[in-house]
Amino acid sequence: MRRTPVGFYRGLNPTTKLVIALSTAALAFVLRGWLVPLVALLVVGATVVRAGLGRAFVPFVLATIPLLISIVLVNVFLYPGATDTILVIGPLRATATGLTVAGQASLRIVAFALSVAVFALTTPTDDLLADLERRGMGRRGTFVIGAAIQTIPRLAARAGEVADSQRARGLRTEGSVWRRIRGVVPLAGPMISGALSEVEERTMALEARAFSAPARRAVLRPMPDDNVQRAGRWLLGLATVGLIALTVTGHLGLP
Amino acid sequence: MGWISRQFTTRTIVLIPIAIAINVVLGYTVQTVLKLPIYLDSIGTILVGVLAGPLAGALTGILSNLIWQYAPGIGGGTIGPFAITAGVIGLLAGVWGQLGIYRSRPASRTVLILAAVTAAVVIGVVAYPILNNPAYTDPNIGGYPSWVFTAIVLIAIVAGIVVAGFILVSKDLAGFWVALAGVITGIVAAFVSAPISAYVFGGVTGSGVDVLVAALRQGGSDVIHASLGQGLFSDPIDKTITSFVVFIILAGLSRRIIARFPNGERLVGPSVD
Repeated sequence: MRRTPVGFYRGLNPTTKLVIALSTAALAFVLRGWLVPLVALLVVGATVVRAGLGRAFVPFVLATIPLLISIVLVNVFLYPGATDTILVIGPLRATATGLTVAGQASLRIVAFALSVAVFALTTPTDDLLADLERRGMGRRGTFVIGAAIQTIPRLAARAGEVADSQRARGLRTEGSVWRRIRGVVPLAGPMISGALSEVEERTMALEARAFSAPARRAVLRPMPDDNVQRAGRWLLGLATVGLIALTVTGHLGLP
Repeated sequence: MGWISRQFTTRTIVLIPIAIAINVVLGYTVQTVLKLPIYLDSIGTILVGVLAGPLAGALTGILSNLIWQYAPGIGGGTIGPFAITAGVIGLLAGVWGQLGIYRSRPASRTVLILAAVTAAVVIGVVAYPILNNPAYTDPNIGGYPSWVFTAIVLIAIVAGIVVAGFILVSKDLAGFWVALAGVITGIVAAFVSAPISAYVFGGVTGSGVDVLVAALRQGGSDVIHASLGQGLFSDPIDKTITSFVVFIILAGLSRRIIARFPNGERLVGPSVD
């Protein structure tokens, strides 16, 4: 029997968590400036602390670093049309405008990436898919998303196996760029053809289990949901759409 | 409504997650291991588009990006907002598939040579505006060493030779159409991605293409033109390579298997072997 999730955030309905993640991401990106991304980041931070995610969070944070470095470097030194120079290093001029843009973009990206991470770390895929199917997404949708999420690690492991066996036959995959490129084809070929060969079998298997039959499936374990969450989802969704509409039409200017 | 449901047979539904996995695994490998200014994350999308139709292709593209972004365990990075581009790529692939672009077309020697020459010319025409961008030609503006210009000329020449060679060696006119489809898809993808990249990310995405964006900005382009410039370099190359890969994959599948897909008959042709 699966344990029911503990804690306020984890105990929320998966669709609620999805709506929160999507709204945070959308608002952080569309409402530019400092205020909204900062608020989003604080909300995410509070959730991380409350749900005790600490250590699992670190790889997600680290993953944003290459992008942030790119953003800062390109925008601070190469922002087109900026003339308020603050620092000169050789031929490169750092501008205050560029710094502001870089700072805001960084904040946006981090708020976006971390809200995704919080959602991913606290929501088992099965729960999310079961809940979405109960709401009417249909078993085909559930299958596609669930199968994709399962197949990705399987395919990656297969790619590793193919790489190992090709290397045992003398394929060189380290070294110069050209050698690495040449190493990709003998890897990609078997991997793709292996993946595609499953299509016929899986199709038969699904058809044998009445996959395309029109009847609705019975739900064995419904996810907890209540009126407060339902109202909250609707409010958050409408507020997000409203704020985005106001910003896009120029009525709302936040710092 | 029939047109929609016909694209989503059980076989298509089975193919889509496999295609998504191919997209993510290959795209991730290319991005992190090779760090080249190409993506190779649309092979699955174009494959589904060609085999099953435009809507299935678009859905594969969109889901690939969203799952790569949000999936527990695999997620992260910045690929999510480009789901729109991926959807467009899948849509176009479906159009090409329905037009029979990927169908084998054996032709006489003269026609093949004509096609090979035309393909080389088309590649030259596409490469020309890129070559003439001052960021690449003038080292004083672009900050690029002068070998980059030579490198791009070489890439264009090699691409022309490879495509022409493919057409002649495989004795198949389809190579010409596949290359054309790939180039057009790439150009459209670049135009769709540039505003996304510029607006959402300020023009950089943390992958190998950022070097190009930096150079173009140095050359005086504003944010959106720098993104567009980078896209018009990477996307046609990437999508043409991807289209050829899909063509080769399809050539390797048995006709019987292809024929069972919704778009199968347009790929296999009316003849009976």
